[in-house]
Amino acid sequence: MSDGGMADYERIDFSKISFLVVEPNRLMGQMVRDVLMTLDAQYIDRARDFESAVTLLRMGRIDVMITEWVLSDEKLGRTGMDIVHWVRNDAQSPNRMMPILMMTANSEEEYVCRARDCGVSEFVAKPYTVNGFYTRLAAAIARPRQFVRIDAYFGPDRRRRRDADYDGPERRAALDIG
Amino acid sequence: MAPRKHKPVFTPPPQDLRRRAVNFTKGFRLKLAPEELRKLEEVVERASDALSQDVAGKLRLLRAALEDVAAADTRADTAMRALRTLSLEIKGMGGMFKYPLLTAFAKSLNDFVKTIDQPTPIQLDIIAAQIDALYVVLARQIQGDGGRTERELLQALRQATAKYKNPARDTAD
Repeated sequence: MSDGGMADYERIDFSKISFLVVEPNRLMGQMVRDVLMTLDAQYIDRARDFESAVTLLRMGRIDVMITEWVLSDEKLGRTGMDIVHWVRNDAQSPNRMMPILMMTANSEEEYVCRARDCGVSEFVAKPYTVNGFYTRLAAAIARPRQFVRIDAYFGPDRRRRRDADYDGPERRAALDIG
Repeated sequence: MAPRKHKPVFTPPPQDLRRRAVNFTKGFRLKLAPEELRKLEEVVERASDALSQDVAGKLRLLRAALEDVAAADTRADTAMRALRTLSLEIKGMGGMFKYPLLTAFAKSLNDFVKTIDQPTPIQLDIIAAQIDALYVVLARQIQGDGGRTERELLQALRQATAKYKNPARDTAD
């Protein structure tokens, strides 16, 4: 993650960031909360299902959301992906460019791709290492990506790899308006 | 590849949060120092006993759900959902507290039950065998990836699930 130079000295003051942790499993949610508190986070809201998460999000205080894919009310068809979709696309969303971490045991490639295509900023596969979680959290906060709207998608730019050997035309660059 | 209907519209990276929280004096470096990482790892370690007890409770629920599915009554649909949800949760928890074998067996079980709506008798036997394996790992406190016996059992269960899963449902929900 290091860019070298000044970036090596950058720090994240987590006390300045408000979090929402959406996790139906009480213990797993508590563990994320404890990790965030150890990082000195002061404001951490928790939710277990779509409705309570959206209610908290509507209040407009949340800076970063960490959500599980499978929620308490999945039998009703609402998952963490629905919350991501709401944040990115709903007219009532207070921050459509909010950093969102998807943290789930649905860790196979097809799920990672679906989460990416829904607009998730970072994906954390359970079981996770604390360092893996922190690395993705820090990237989402300190290294935000540009956003893109293309057809039905609105979310972080999904292109991560830069091919140093690519010598073709930069077709997308010509269209950038940011 | 289908042609795109619209040109992409880019918006620069949002900087509000970065401006507010990233600095050069206070907080945690982007790459954690060893002592900082150690502190965070201790948080997870402290939760190990509680996680272990939670998984034990989920295993009891798995057994109960399997009985309901086997009874094939009105509770069967709910019980199949419970099998999927519980196995997924254990898959995500095992490796968190030094039981990666729990994660491996739970993944095998979850991959299997998510392909099934109404299990056949042999599929029920395979589900029961996987729940038994989860019990053994937890009861005997087999940390790490176990030994040769555990690896062979996992391999055998994977072969059984591959043979008897419902290929028509072998996709993500």
